[in-house]
Amino acid sequence: MNTIKLLCTGLILFVSMFSQAQSDVNSSTFGTLEARVLGPGTMSGRISAIEGVNSDNGKTLYVGTAGGGVWKTTNAGASFKPIFDKYCQSIGAIAIDQKNPKVIYVGTGESNMRNSVSIGDGFYKSTDAGSNWVKIGGLDSTEHIAKVVIDPSNSSTVYVAAPGPLWSDSKHRGLYKSTDAGKTFEKILYISEKAGCADLVIDPNNPSTLYASTWEFRRTPYSFSSGGPGSAVWKSTDGGKTWKELTNGLPAKPIGRTALAIAPSAPNNLIAIVEAKQTGLYITADGGESWKSQSASLNVVSRPFYFSTLVIDPKDPKRVYRPAYSFAYSSDGGYSFAEASGEGGWVHSDHHALWINPNNTNQLYLGTDGGVYLSLDRGATWMFVQNLPVGQFYHVDHDMNDPYRVFGGLQDNGSWVAPSSTPGGVSNGDWKAIYGGDGFWVTPDPTDPNIVYAESQGGDVNRVDLRSVKSVGVRPLQTSGDEKLRWNWNTPIVIGKANPKNLYTGAQYLYRSKDQGRNWTKISPDLTTNDKKKQEQENSGGLSADNTSAENHTTIFTIAESPLDENAIWVGTDDGNLQVSTDGGATWNNTSTAIAATGIPSQTWVSSIQPSHFNKQVVYATFDNHMYGDHATYAAKSEDGGKTWKAFKSKEFSGFAHKIIEDPINKNLLFIGTEMGLFASLNGGSDWFRMKNNIPWYALVRDLKIHPRTNDLIIATHGRGILIVDDISAMRNLSTEILSKEIHLFETGEIELSTGRFGDGGFPSTGGWVSPNAPSLKPFEYYLKDRILSGTIKLEIYDEAGKLVQSVPGTNRKGINRVTWSQRMMPPKTATGATKPDNGGAIAPQVLPGNYTLKLKVGSKELTQNFKMVHPEKSSFTLAERKAQFASAMELYELHQQLATIVAGISSKQKEYRLPVDSLKNKKNQKLGNEYLTALETLRAELIPTKQTSIFADESRLREDITQVYLAICFNEAGPSNLQLESIKNLKQRVVAAETKAKQLNDQYEEKVKASVTKEKK
Amino acid sequence: MKKLKFFSLLLAASMLTLASWAQSADEIIAKHIEAIGGADNWKKVNSIRQEATLSVQGMDIPVIVTLVHNKGSKQEFTVMGMTGYTIITNEGGWSFNPMMGQSKPEPMTSDDLKYGKDQLDAQGEFLNYKEKGHSVESLGKEDIDGTECFKIKLTRKSGTESVFFIDPKTYYPIRISSKVVANGQEVESIVNLSNYQKLPEGIVVPFTMENSQMPAPITMTKIVINAPIDESIFKVGQ
Repeated sequence: MNTIKLLCTGLILFVSMFSQAQSDVNSSTFGTLEARVLGPGTMSGRISAIEGVNSDNGKTLYVGTAGGGVWKTTNAGASFKPIFDKYCQSIGAIAIDQKNPKVIYVGTGESNMRNSVSIGDGFYKSTDAGSNWVKIGGLDSTEHIAKVVIDPSNSSTVYVAAPGPLWSDSKHRGLYKSTDAGKTFEKILYISEKAGCADLVIDPNNPSTLYASTWEFRRTPYSFSSGGPGSAVWKSTDGGKTWKELTNGLPAKPIGRTALAIAPSAPNNLIAIVEAKQTGLYITADGGESWKSQSASLNVVSRPFYFSTLVIDPKDPKRVYRPAYSFAYSSDGGYSFAEASGEGGWVHSDHHALWINPNNTNQLYLGTDGGVYLSLDRGATWMFVQNLPVGQFYHVDHDMNDPYRVFGGLQDNGSWVAPSSTPGGVSNGDWKAIYGGDGFWVTPDPTDPNIVYAESQGGDVNRVDLRSVKSVGVRPLQTSGDEKLRWNWNTPIVIGKANPKNLYTGAQYLYRSKDQGRNWTKISPDLTTNDKKKQEQENSGGLSADNTSAENHTTIFTIAESPLDENAIWVGTDDGNLQVSTDGGATWNNTSTAIAATGIPSQTWVSSIQPSHFNKQVVYATFDNHMYGDHATYAAKSEDGGKTWKAFKSKEFSGFAHKIIEDPINKNLLFIGTEMGLFASLNGGSDWFRMKNNIPWYALVRDLKIHPRTNDLIIATHGRGILIVDDISAMRNLSTEILSKEIHLFETGEIELSTGRFGDGGFPSTGGWVSPNAPSLKPFEYYLKDRILSGTIKLEIYDEAGKLVQSVPGTNRKGINRVTWSQRMMPPKTATGATKPDNGGAIAPQVLPGNYTLKLKVGSKELTQNFKMVHPEKSSFTLAERKAQFASAMELYELHQQLATIVAGISSKQKEYRLPVDSLKNKKNQKLGNEYLTALETLRAELIPTKQTSIFADESRLREDITQVYLAICFNEAGPSNLQLESIKNLKQRVVAAETKAKQLNDQYEEKVKASVTKEKK
Repeated sequence: MKKLKFFSLLLAASMLTLASWAQSADEIIAKHIEAIGGADNWKKVNSIRQEATLSVQGMDIPVIVTLVHNKGSKQEFTVMGMTGYTIITNEGGWSFNPMMGQSKPEPMTSDDLKYGKDQLDAQGEFLNYKEKGHSVESLGKEDIDGTECFKIKLTRKSGTESVFFIDPKTYYPIRISSKVVANGQEVESIVNLSNYQKLPEGIVVPFTMENSQMPAPITMTKIVINAPIDESIFKVGQ
């Protein structure tokens, strides 16, 4: 018994030690590797909710997004901050308790039920205006929340309208009511597992009167249906206890989605847009008892499942707003509609949110598929809010330019390119649109820097010339013997990793071109299940036909060529097939049965495939089954060319998986992007942790790339634009051995000398989104097992002679620390006592190439490492010029220090004799003393500024004259010019002259003055 | 202008650290006070004089912060031989920044003064916080750079708020996050604290602080408790 017990204990100990080592690694280990948010704000992204604080006159607003969380402005949009970064990023509805506007509710899960809509994970509350959030209410399984309404007379009463799950039957839908400010909810209107609550309005004068619409709807991967017996319009006059269906004057059932609006100033007046065989707008003036048909103009009837926003002016019951495909407004209660004028510029189509300032009803905020707009004239013209980086990318790619360019396609926002770094930072204006429609794959041609392949939805593949942005349509076409081609909404366009001349795309067949899409070869049979039941898209939509290629199915969804062999090609379909060819497409082998054997459901979308960079038999893949109501994270690895698979498991995982990548250098470093987060593994997939490195914890991560030159992790999010984690090599290099150390100093190797990658173009950017650039200087990196709470951390740099060159304060965080040294020495001591500061004392010459020593001092511990500073070979700045620059800079450095000594000497004499001279009784002696002091001051005033009191008046003295040349030389990546050298000679003479003059004055006067002072003292 | 802002933030940060002692949910606060030297020792603190250095790539900016409990504070900094200061007393606040060409001290805005006055409490804000009219709230835990910290919100009598992140091992705060309102706009100011050391008086204080607005951490070189302080230094123009 005892032996067994002992053994068990030992085993547990061993296991726990092992898991300890693994769990030591998490996001905070790499906390300093923070993503920079490339944005952009120029096309922004889909906005699903906007609410403002009524008492704040339109300054404080909360903006909910389709995949980028909640953003808050307190200045009417001049700046925004994300305030929901630790939670689900898909936002359905926001409500502010206007009686206590610090109370905010957020219902997660957008309810604009397009094919790409994300899902929520419940209901959240903040009681401090968005700083802190708690999940409450038990609504975690509703997946989609359309509206949150607070009883205006009683803040404890909160209603949540939940359409509920889109892809499956569920009881978690309907209208919910809380009477304890959201803590608990009771379902007060429930129809069926197929129909939820799509809209709710409350009578502000009589808050027990509620109007609600229920909606029956469903998506499958290959169809959409809006409408059914569960759809209806309802009224309650007892706070939701009982409900009456409203039908009088409304279209006959079945109906689809109904949008409701009440006139706050005359609440018996409501309007409704009812999706039906004849969709239209209906009005009632008697609290819903009877309805009358009004407009059925384009904007009223378009896509009711997607456009469900309808608002009546808070003061004017006749003023009706219908943000939908475009922005329409009515001044006659919905009888006729006008469209926003184009004056002021284009307003992005597809609108989902509108907030009207109740105190100034001219002021409107509109949420579209392309961001937020502000109107100050009741919607006639609009200004774009350019600082919300919430773009919804599907894919991202990069080229090999330096700095590299980033390419990507977005939901409803086309395809774009931008530099990853550029002078001044990457701003909205640096992004260039290269193709229209919805954008997806954008793939630069590695063999031709002017060419990129881009597309719009449904396989519209194009070859785009980046110089002109002119495009050539290259979509493969059906030929005799082919079935009609089926193109996915998000059709893959892929360049070969082994042979970059190979361009692939796929319908149900795989196509390859070796000449930039001019000629294509079909290199596969139908690789899908070709299930005819899943090909009836013409009947899709339900009551309103909706066939935009979004439901196209049984198509190829992902393609990958092995980096090791161009004949090894992998193809994944949206209906569960993962096919491999090892002979360039001549024959194909379907591995789906083997995958199903791991427990991954059949029929899942094969969302990504990553053939290994190290072994042809190794392949990774992700699988997405959310369209069958299953949100599990599925990822797997095969080590035998797809014959058998092993699924990755982790408690950390959340969200259905979009992408897996393997690091091209360290085969154990893997990343998975899911609908709810980015995950990393350092041990080949055994353990995973969530990456939180300035990345929203539940970011919708659609695509990932690692740049082979810069080692940057490039992240395409579906709601937060592009994120870049610059240089992840620290993640590659962190071995178990290092993890067990208290402190580890990573090998620095060589550091290229640089004054920074870019110059300074003057003013900082005004407005819009600006991403910082990649760091210009290589940092030192060290690992701390724990945060250091006692003792200082310093990095000291010594030259070969052992002289201290610079000391830089270190950071103390747990995990990887990065500290950047300016590559400069300590600045000179410059002359003090002036009436203005001088930059000369803040700037030091850049060091010369050579061998240096780094001492990392952590408390009493010290780690030492040698490293090299090297002159960049490619630079136009030669080594000889650098040496000359350094020599000149050092001459000026010494001049500064000499001058400082001279001025300090003068000041000291002034200080020494001022009082004694003032106290002299002998007027003749005093006069002499004053002569001495005045002469000293005259000299001092030639050396440093003594008069200036304004920063706008230049008072240049010898110190400033030295600095002018010194700064120029220190900052130029160039050798000193002839006149700079000439000027140094001149400055030297002036310093020598000043020294001589000071000495001469002291010789002339000091003994005499001292004597008279001494004499009188006696 | 940028520079001025930077210095005032720096100084506010340096004030905040020494002055803001205490924690939340009473148990955590009690442990925290014990950890930093105990209530008895802190109650004896009447004045604090800190000498510190901000080192920016080799250029040292000496900083001296003098605080007399509930009476006044003066923060001086010297850049290239020019000395500026900020003075806060119960009567008002002034700042003098000759680097910006100022020839005399200028009054602080009422917003800045409000935050400044909060920090005249040399004995730590958590000590007897109820009597001082402050309130605290536990906001659970939050991961700060890999340390799962207690999260305590302090709402001061003046209405200003700070969140303290307290290391559960040592009960030292490792971060203080404050919402500073200026012109109706909230700005979050984050100060990270480290290098805790025990003073002869038995109290434990951080010797290193960093603020996202500062170019480098500030490190204390000397802290003297209850040194005699000539309160005339709080007179403007001295």
